[in-house]
Amino acid sequence: MLPDFTNTALFLIVSALLSGVAFTAAANDEGPEQPILFSHKIHAGDNKIDCRTCHSYVEISTHPGIPSVQKCMGCHTHIQGRDIEYETDGGKVINLREEIAKVREYWEKKEPIPWVKVSPMAEYVQFSHKRHIKQGIECKTCHGEVEKMDVVRKTERLNMGFCISCHEESAKDEYHETQLKDCLTCHY
Amino acid sequence: MSDKIKDGKNKTEEGISRRDFLKVVGVAGGAAAASGGCSFEPVEQIIPYVIPPENSVPGIPDYYSSTCRECPAGCGIVVKTREGRAIKIEGAPENPINSGALCARGQASPQGLYNPDRVKSPLLKNEEGKFRAATWKDAEKALADRIQDLVAKGRGDRIVYLDGVETGSYDELLGIWADATGARRYHYETFSHEPIKKANEIVFGANSVPAYKIEEAEYLLSFGADYLETWLSPVSGGRGLGKLRSIKDGKIGKVVQVEARMSMTGASADRMINISPGSEVFLALGIANAMAKKAANVEDYIASLVSDHTPEEVSRKISVPAETIYEIAEEMLSKKSLAIGGGAAGTASNATEMLVAVNLLNHLSGNMNETVDFSDALAVSKSASYGEMLSLIKDMENGAVEVLIVRGINPAFILPRAAGFKKAMEKVAFSVSFSPFMDETAGMCSAVLPDNHPLESWGDFRARESFHGIVQPAVERVFNTKSSADVLISVSGLTEATKGLFASPDYYSFLRDYWKRMGADISPGKPFEDFWNESLKKGGVSVPVQPEAVSISGRMRLFSFSGRDAEFEGDGNLRLMPFPSAKFYDGRGANKPWLQELPDSLTSVVWDSWVEMHPSVAEEMGARDGSFVKVESPFGSFETQAFVHEGISPDTVAMPIGLGHDSYGRYAKGRGVSPMEILSTRSDALSGGYAWLSTKVRILPTGRDGLLVRTQYTKSQHGREVAQTVDIKDLGHKHDNGHDGHGHHPDFYPDLKYEKYRWGMSIDLSKCTGCGACVTACYAENNIPFVGKEQVARRREMAWLRIDRFFEKNPDGEVTARFVPVPCQHCGNAPCEPVCPVYATYHNHEGLNGMIYNRCVGTRYCSNNCTYKVRRFNWYSYKVPEPLNWQFNPDVTVRTKGVMEKCSFCVQRIRQSHDTAKDEGRDIRDGEVVTACQQTCATNAIEFGNLLDPHSRVSEASHDERGYKLFEEINTKPAVTYLKDVTQS
Repeated sequence: MLPDFTNTALFLIVSALLSGVAFTAAANDEGPEQPILFSHKIHAGDNKIDCRTCHSYVEISTHPGIPSVQKCMGCHTHIQGRDIEYETDGGKVINLREEIAKVREYWEKKEPIPWVKVSPMAEYVQFSHKRHIKQGIECKTCHGEVEKMDVVRKTERLNMGFCISCHEESAKDEYHETQLKDCLTCHY
Repeated sequence: MSDKIKDGKNKTEEGISRRDFLKVVGVAGGAAAASGGCSFEPVEQIIPYVIPPENSVPGIPDYYSSTCRECPAGCGIVVKTREGRAIKIEGAPENPINSGALCARGQASPQGLYNPDRVKSPLLKNEEGKFRAATWKDAEKALADRIQDLVAKGRGDRIVYLDGVETGSYDELLGIWADATGARRYHYETFSHEPIKKANEIVFGANSVPAYKIEEAEYLLSFGADYLETWLSPVSGGRGLGKLRSIKDGKIGKVVQVEARMSMTGASADRMINISPGSEVFLALGIANAMAKKAANVEDYIASLVSDHTPEEVSRKISVPAETIYEIAEEMLSKKSLAIGGGAAGTASNATEMLVAVNLLNHLSGNMNETVDFSDALAVSKSASYGEMLSLIKDMENGAVEVLIVRGINPAFILPRAAGFKKAMEKVAFSVSFSPFMDETAGMCSAVLPDNHPLESWGDFRARESFHGIVQPAVERVFNTKSSADVLISVSGLTEATKGLFASPDYYSFLRDYWKRMGADISPGKPFEDFWNESLKKGGVSVPVQPEAVSISGRMRLFSFSGRDAEFEGDGNLRLMPFPSAKFYDGRGANKPWLQELPDSLTSVVWDSWVEMHPSVAEEMGARDGSFVKVESPFGSFETQAFVHEGISPDTVAMPIGLGHDSYGRYAKGRGVSPMEILSTRSDALSGGYAWLSTKVRILPTGRDGLLVRTQYTKSQHGREVAQTVDIKDLGHKHDNGHDGHGHHPDFYPDLKYEKYRWGMSIDLSKCTGCGACVTACYAENNIPFVGKEQVARRREMAWLRIDRFFEKNPDGEVTARFVPVPCQHCGNAPCEPVCPVYATYHNHEGLNGMIYNRCVGTRYCSNNCTYKVRRFNWYSYKVPEPLNWQFNPDVTVRTKGVMEKCSFCVQRIRQSHDTAKDEGRDIRDGEVVTACQQTCATNAIEFGNLLDPHSRVSEASHDERGYKLFEEINTKPAVTYLKDVTQS
């Protein structure tokens, strides 16, 4: 759809679109900078915390759920973190205790943590996490091996070609393929 | 939106012309190509909860039962919320009043909640007369000091509390507070139905407004009662009509409407008898006379009461043929009948006499206690009288009112200006409005202590004796507002006289205490928490009422009809009939843009007022549709545009009530004119109720013509057979299966095959009343933008579902209207699909005509090629001011400029059902997918479902002998089947 010309940022995107540059970002090498350097590697990798512990609605809702600050505090009231330098996969050096202290700061101010979305989805896409999880699709199919990343980054482009390739492969028969590739499955 | 395109030059908002745009695109495109792999990643944040709400999952809606407070009908509602925002209101299925349906006003209530012009904090007026934001503490103290002062002097009677009708716990709380302070309370409703109460007292000894059970009747005779629009309980009226108009054993109920101006209600009647306003009493008496001659066991005094009014005599007086009168009398006697009357439009100075005669009809028919239920009196029975309002105004003028608290009504707007409320307000030392909006009354007050919106409040409302509804908050407060009950509790704590008056710390506990007592009464032995939680879930509790049969009262022996015509003030030659608007009620709906943009049922006018006149009147002054005319009465004058219509008596002009606000927010202010500005203050002789119909006006041409902005400019269907009819006698004899002579056309392409589902809809035109609730429900469900009057004038309205109306005359020469709701027909052979150059619209495997916004490049070829003109183009990105956008349905894409859109058969609901069905490993059941329009329809005119299932309700309806497709001869193979309207003579 043609975005509003009055918005300069979107205006440039339109220009890019028209000249053949893909709208969706390529799988980037670095993830976005987050307000807290939260390491998925430490949580999901080293400590083997199940994705669903924090993204608890992923099986029941369209949204996976982002943990509330209260939920973070559920563990971090007790876990202060080691007072050590830690080099992330992005090459940044942080102090674990200091990063965890930031969570407590948000909690004390009763403010939410303004995370930056790693995999934003265009507004005209109606995507349901539940449907995909129930189908037995693993998180990493789309999100990559998050448990090995300190800073989560996009490993797949998550554009329509990516969706369709999977929808095509998993079709059981012709009718099922029609269903899976129907525009109205995701766009309304 | 009007100023977006200026001077006819093709300029966008910020002054970029199309040509400049293309230039910039050229440059930027080159740059982008040069830099190769550069990417544009919009940064989006994802904000978690600090503390997650209990039992609430983002992405899954939560539902709250409550009670609609848009009018005193008090329908049960279910509020759908997502992530803490109210996104849709639907009728509560189990509620006995509306059983799941809701009117356009109810559907639009989230636009009250999220109205950008709500009073956002308490306001106090400074010395310069300007409102300044204040803290609740200061605002409450200001009120408490005044009250304290008067109570200490023993002059508590100089405090006046003015509100709409309240029942239940708030009424009790007010009672306690008023007893302690000595304050006087008035609960007045704009449409107070005093003549109905008085007539019931005279005839049956019951001074109340009973429940009229239209659903029980086979024959409904209405004297001006707009029971589908504002009269008593319009959704319940619609439910009743839907039942009455269901065909059983080849029979269908019949409705006769007697009124001077065809209302939407009159338009849905089988016969509309058009008579001079104020002369209805004579017709009712004529019918009573004819019935009395035929009925058994008629009391002598009743027979003699009506003996002078023979049909022949009446016929001479009011030009209704005597045969018609005999015919109605016959049908009243032979069928299970119900006669009703009233409505503001029909309330003349002889209204009570008319209603006494109407009551006699019910008495004579012998159906009295079957179709009228006095045990189930309506809350509106408790309204204060117009006479009390007049004496209050007098007190205010005399300085006998020093503190005035106004809530729930807007007296500066709804009372005739000649009554002098506004002037009297100036004499009140300290006035406070509890209104959540800056309405006319609030603007004149010394302070505004804004109440919560009902969707943010606790409360209860007993709309009728048999059901006590709960009002529960569905969302957090949007602004710094406070429930009026809580304000009174805290104010009481601040004054000496009332300290400790309320044991409860807040209204919520007061409400629960009240319900505790009620629970002990209704369900003795049940633990309170169970009773409370069950009631919350249901949105209220049914209260057992003793059936009460009424019979004719002794007073009737002393009664005699004056035989006088209605009285009018003014020396004009035309009777001015102000009629309550189905969209705005008494004006309180005017601040909701969905209602402003909803085309009026009969005229299709949007965002403005008009004056309706008979062609003969228009001809006399050379006026036509859209001509500006001056309407002049002894009390004032204004200019508005003419709408010429045959459905109005030649001695009458009519105007809608509800517009002409001079405040009340950006959507209401300065739109149209208010008839209250030029009405007389006369009352009905017997009841003292306000006689809305008591002013004569002169209509003067101004010589100026203009466009009266509408969505439909033709009044006739020009023989196109859009709205088809069939006589009841022709049903069941031949099975034409709706093809109506057009037959099947040969097709170039093979028939489409569907495997499991083909979604389809049926619309029963014998039940459609043209009320527009479906249209507003569609706006709410599908994030349809409102575009404003100027854009509608350019035919750019965005409604996915439009209602066409066509006027015709029946063989008796009576004007009648036909309504045809037209959504996208989801054609099996859609003209829009092959012309799309980018496959943005296509036919899917379930029979849906898909519209894919992100593919659309806006050529508009599809719209040009659409047979039904149901496609809408986004000429702009229509932005709505915060927080109106909080209502948006997150399951539906918000479209932007340059994109085509149209009815999707609520595909998001179909997808939701697929999801649920898949979880449960089954197919979608019949009745599981309910479209927004179908859900809210009071008469159940719409069915939706799978056409491949031969037993689905929509399949059965589509194969009905009345079924036909719109323009079937074009061979578009629509998925929507219309069921012909049924006529009967």
